[in-house]
This record gives sequence, structure tokens and C-alpha cells, in this order.
Amino acid sequence: MSSPATQLRTRIAPLIGSPAVEKARLRVVPRRAPQRTRVPFVFLVTLVLLGGVVGLLLFNTSMQQAAFATTALEDQAATLAARQQTLEMEIDTLRDPQRLAERAQQMGMVVSGTPAYLDLETHRVLGEPSPATAEQGLRLLPRPEAKPAVLDPEPIVEEVRQVIGDGPTAGSLDDLPDAESPLGGRPVTRDRD
Amino acid sequence: MPSDTRTPRPGRPRKPRGSLRGSPLFRLRFGFLAIAMVLSVFGARLVQLQGIDPKAYAEMAAAEGIVNVSLPAKRGDILDRNGEPLARSVEGLRIVADPLLTTDQAPELAKFLANRLDVDYFSLLPRLREEGSRYEYVARRVPSTVATRVVDEAADRGFKGLFTERDPVRDYPAHDVAANLVGFMGIDKPLAGFEQTFDGLLAGTDGSARYQVGGGNRLPLGDNTVVEPVDGQDITTTLDQDLQWYTQRVLRQTVEDARGDSGFAVVMDTRTGELLALADHPTFDAADPAASDATDRGSRAMSDVYEPGSVQKVLTVAGLLDAGKATPESRLRVPSELRRDGRVINDWFPHDELKLTLAGVIAKSSNIGTVNAADHFGRGELRRYLAKFGLGEKTDIGVRSEASGVLPSSSMWSSLVDDRVAFGQSLSVNAVQMAAAVNTIANGGVHVDPSLIQGSATTDDGVEVGTDVATTRRVVSEKAARGTARMMERVLDPEGGTAPGAAVPGYRVAGKTGTAQRVGEECACYDGTFTVSFAGFAPADDPRFTVYVVVQNPRNGGGGGSVGGPAFSKIMSYALKRYGVPPTGTKPSNLPLEW
Repeated sequence: MSSPATQLRTRIAPLIGSPAVEKARLRVVPRRAPQRTRVPFVFLVTLVLLGGVVGLLLFNTSMQQAAFATTALEDQAATLAARQQTLEMEIDTLRDPQRLAERAQQMGMVVSGTPAYLDLETHRVLGEPSPATAEQGLRLLPRPEAKPAVLDPEPIVEEVRQVIGDGPTAGSLDDLPDAESPLGGRPVTRDRD
Repeated sequence: MPSDTRTPRPGRPRKPRGSLRGSPLFRLRFGFLAIAMVLSVFGARLVQLQGIDPKAYAEMAAAEGIVNVSLPAKRGDILDRNGEPLARSVEGLRIVADPLLTTDQAPELAKFLANRLDVDYFSLLPRLREEGSRYEYVARRVPSTVATRVVDEAADRGFKGLFTERDPVRDYPAHDVAANLVGFMGIDKPLAGFEQTFDGLLAGTDGSARYQVGGGNRLPLGDNTVVEPVDGQDITTTLDQDLQWYTQRVLRQTVEDARGDSGFAVVMDTRTGELLALADHPTFDAADPAASDATDRGSRAMSDVYEPGSVQKVLTVAGLLDAGKATPESRLRVPSELRRDGRVINDWFPHDELKLTLAGVIAKSSNIGTVNAADHFGRGELRRYLAKFGLGEKTDIGVRSEASGVLPSSSMWSSLVDDRVAFGQSLSVNAVQMAAAVNTIANGGVHVDPSLIQGSATTDDGVEVGTDVATTRRVVSEKAARGTARMMERVLDPEGGTAPGAAVPGYRVAGKTGTAQRVGEECACYDGTFTVSFAGFAPADDPRFTVYVVVQNPRNGGGGGSVGGPAFSKIMSYALKRYGVPPTGTKPSNLPLEW
């Protein structure tokens, strides 16, 4: 097929350019495609665009929503953690050995005596059990510091004179004015710490 | 463009519009000029913004809506051996006031806050009214639940100008328990004890976060950089909180009753060298260190060195037994006094010549007998033994300002020094050193390094401390150690011994009293005061604990047996009960004391 066509072309070559030849020349005409409607495509693109925009909007919104939730939950976690720590702190305060010992002593407990041990292999009793006694009590608080002499004067001892006759009766002694002694007439003794 | 002025339409009257607008050329030029001027202003501004200092403006733009938060690392806890916290960090807040907003309601607000927080009304009031200030502390280190509650309640009542900021709280739940070792925190940095020594481990590294916010919420797609904080490590000590507490209370009672200056007590696990308690008196409350003397905030047990006195005799005797120079039954003649190099050595009790065995010398704590027995040592032998027992050498257990004590150097070791060292003078020790030395005898002659930290930790001086790095070494033979322990049991003999009060009912206890003259701080000479002590271990034939009690300058005339003995008994009895150590049920030592 190709060789006659080549011969033809060479033969008519000088004639090319003349309008008649141009007109008579056979050409391969593309087959006309049937005109398809563009509506579905436009619709699809629009749909994709619209879907994208809406999806993006929704995604963004949900992310924002998540951010709000994160912030709220983080705040809640921090509050709860702080609460837990404060509670732990309270427990530690409550189980402070000093506090427990003071409470126990107030309830009349003392440090236990020596226990005995039962050896289950040899069936022997080891040790001499001894009961807990009040002497085993431990002094839990420091002794109060000795006061300077100025603040801890000698005890003032008032001798109560016996009153005979018209003097005040025992009951009315309390009504005596306090002028005689600065401490209301009662003899005072005080421990020296 | 046709113009009215050039082609006036016929028939129409000329309007004066042109005269108002001017000629088009003029208007054009004027317009261009105006536009050019405006544009050049824009241009100039552009150069100013972009050319001269672009960064500052960029930063200002970025800072809009950007939040920078420091993420503080959580400071590690200091725990006892059972995981009980001795020091812990708690989330806290500081409450801050803005005086600009609080001035009006200052008295009411101050009253409200003083009632709810630990703050003083009168010191708070002027701060709420401070002129020109917008930031005044109301309270620091408030547990965050308390702070939030107070601030919310204040807002409900209509008080304005209060806000909170992060401010971690360091809590010492047990107050004075082990405070001398744990130390305490200042406002922003550690000031004493483990807090300071192990700050590098405890502190951790702060992190930071930088993010954009909008309406109080983090923007999900905004700038977001987070450097996570690295929390500090916890430090686990070998201390037992309850035993430490009990030891401190017994010690306080002992020092107070003896009217002493100070005291220390050590409880040591015989086999591992772990210190279960290391008590000091006077001590302080770690939660309120300012209430105590600065001198009471360190550990005297580690920093105060003293002459150990007669407790030292057990080391001398253990050496003699190990060197094969004596046996517990060795017979010694003990004269009423001993003259050496022109000096007289006396015993603490007057006596005629006594015929004591070596066990008797220990039981009655005879200086003369010990010196006589120690004469069997070759030159330098006693010093070698004492050095192996760990005297004169730092224990490096992680306590600050430890004093190493003094073991006289070989060149200073005269025969007089030799005599005096044999019964515990002319050398100085700290309490943990001495406890570890006595523990060597309890542990069958093997010295275990004492330790306070479980595992290992590095101090701020770069020293690795802890149970992982504790080493052991044999000092005397097993036989010598057991022999010494049997002699030490006789110290508690109700008739012949110096410390019957140290006995723990049902248990075999070995111990030794010490009453040493004390070198005064002022005169650097013996000033007539004493250091009394008692060291011992139980059960004597299978020891679990070594306890050492020292009281400085008792004024009730008591000695090591009468002051230290009962305290030892209480502490040891508690430790044995607490750890469920049954008596061994074997026969106690009945070594003869005399011959």
C-alpha cells in the first residue's frame, strides 16, 4: 500500500499548491466521535470539589472539637492528678509514725514486750514472752525547754492563818480580796521543768 | 474624549464645572503625584518593616496567639527501704494577687485568705494594696487542690485579682524522721542532705512546650513543639522509716534524761552493712527547717568525730585473737595502776591487783588489762588492724561533710600512743565508722562497707555510693571474731559486767560500753566532759543487727552502761521484733572472768 502512495506523491509533487489539486486531494478524515454529553463529568468534578470542601470543613471541625476535648481532658487529668497527690499527702500525714504513736498512747497502748517464737519444725518455743507494761511507754514528745529563771520564779507559798472567833468562815475565805496574794490566796506549787 | 470646554454645544449655556475641576492635565498630574506620594510612603514603610528590623516584627507576629509553657520535671522522691516516702514532690500552686484589682477589697480579701491559708493577715494586707505593682505573692507551695478551691471560692464571693501559677511542693511527711540525712529544699534549690548531694539525680530536666492557642484551646494545626521533661529519679535509701523513728525517739529520751549535749544512734544490718537507722539528736523538722538551729540540720553522727573510748577495746582484742597473741581465757595480772613513759594509766574503778582473764578485761573494761594484753602486738600491728577495721578512713555513704576521724600515722605512733589507742583514746572516729568496725566482729570478721543508698547513686562530688559499690574484706579470722563476741557477751553479765542494762530478754547479746574523755571545743584538751557509748549486736551467735548508741556530755554522771545500755536494749529489742528474728536458743557464753 505504501509504495504506490509514494509514487503518486512524487508524481503529483509539482502540482502541489494549485487550488484544484488541493481541493481534489484525498484526505483521511477522522471518524467523528459521537458527541457525548459533559454533564456527568462536570457533575462529578463538582461533587468531588464540593465533597472535598465539605469533608475538609467537617474534618477541621472535628479536629477543633478534638482539640477542645483534649484541653478539657488534660485539665481534668491535671486536676485529678493533683487531687490524688493531695490525698496521698494526707495519707502520709495520717500514717506518720509519730502521729500513730501519739494516738496509740492516748488509747493506752505501749510498746510490746518480747514475743516468743514457735518453731514449727522442731516444735520448740523460742524466747521468753514478756507482757507489755506501762513502764515500756516511750516519751514521744521532747521535754519542754527549761524556762529561764525570770519566767519560772520560786513557788509562792501563802500560810493560811487560822482565824478564830468573828473571822470569816471557811466558806467565806474565797470571798477575801485578792490583794493579799497575787494568785488569789491559794498556795501554789509548781514543778520545775 | 470629547470635552465640554473645547466643543461647547450650541444652544447650551456654559457651565462653570470646568473651573471647579481644573484642566484634565492638571488633574491627571495632581492625581499621579498624590498616588506617587502615597506609594512612596508605603514604600518607605515597607523598607522600614522588611529592611531595617524584620525579625522583631516577625516575632511579634508569631507571638500573637503563641503560648510558651515550661514543663517542669517532677523531682524524684526520697524513699525508705519499703518505699515509704521520706521526701516527695506534690503538684502545687502559688497564689498570686494583682494589687490593681485587689486594693478596693483588700481587708475583706486578706481576712478571707488568712482564714483559709497559712498566711498572716497583717503581712498580707499591705501586699494586696501595693501601689504600682501587679504581681504579689499571697502564698507559695500550696497543694493544688487547696489553692484551686480557695481561688474558686474567692471568685464566687466576688473577689477579683487572684490567680494561680505552678509551684511544686516538696513534702516531708515524716517531718523529723531522718531529716538530718534527707536534708531540705530552699525556695528554689536544695540546701542540705541527700536533696543537695543527689540533686543531679533528683532534679531531672525541665521541658518546654510552644503552641498556638485560640480561645484558650490549642489549635490542632497550629505551631506545636513539645520538649518532654525528663523526670528526676527516685532515690531509695536503706533506712527503715519506722525503725528510724523509734530510734530517734529512744535517742531523744536518752539524751534528755542524761542531760547530754547531743547523741547519735546507728542500726546496721550485720550481713549487708545497710544502715536501717542513723539517728541524730538534736534534730529538726525538714518541713520547717527554719525553726531549728542551723547546727542541728546536719548529721552529727557523720561530722562530729570523738574518741571512741572502751568500745575500741573489742577491736584491739579481736586483733590479738586473730594474731594468735591471746585467747579469751588468757590470764592477766592487772595492777591498781600502770606507769608508762612517766604517765599513769588508771582504771575507771579503783581496785587492788586483779587476776583477770582477757574476757574479764573486756567485761570489766579494764584499761590496764587491755594495755598489758596489747603489749603482745608487734610494732605497727595494732595500727594495721585498726586501719583494716576502717578507722581513719571515710565511709563515703553519701552524707555531706563527713569527717574521716584520725588514726595517728605510723610516724606519730609512739609507744604512748600505742597504749592509749589500745583502749580507745588518741584516735577519733565517726559513729558510722565505729559501728561498721564493731559490725565486722558481728559478721564473723568480715568488714562490710556501710551504705545508706540502695543500688547506687552518684553524689555531686562524683563519688559512686550505695549497696552496689559496697565491698567486703576480711579483717580478722572467723574464730577470732566469734571469740571476741563471746567475750563481749560477758559485758552484759549481771554481776561481773559493766552493762547489765543492755540485755534483751530471751536473746544472747554481745556488746561493749565506752566512756571516753572528751576533747572540748575551746581548749582542745580533755575538758572533763565525757562521751558515753554502747555498741553491740544480737543474737550473739548469729548476729542480725549491730546497734551503736553514743551520748555526748551526759550531765547525770552516767557511763556507757547506764546511759547507752538501756537505749541499746530498747532499739535492739524493737529491731529484732520488727524483723521477726527469733532467739537462737543456744547457751550463753560463760567464759571465766577471773582466775
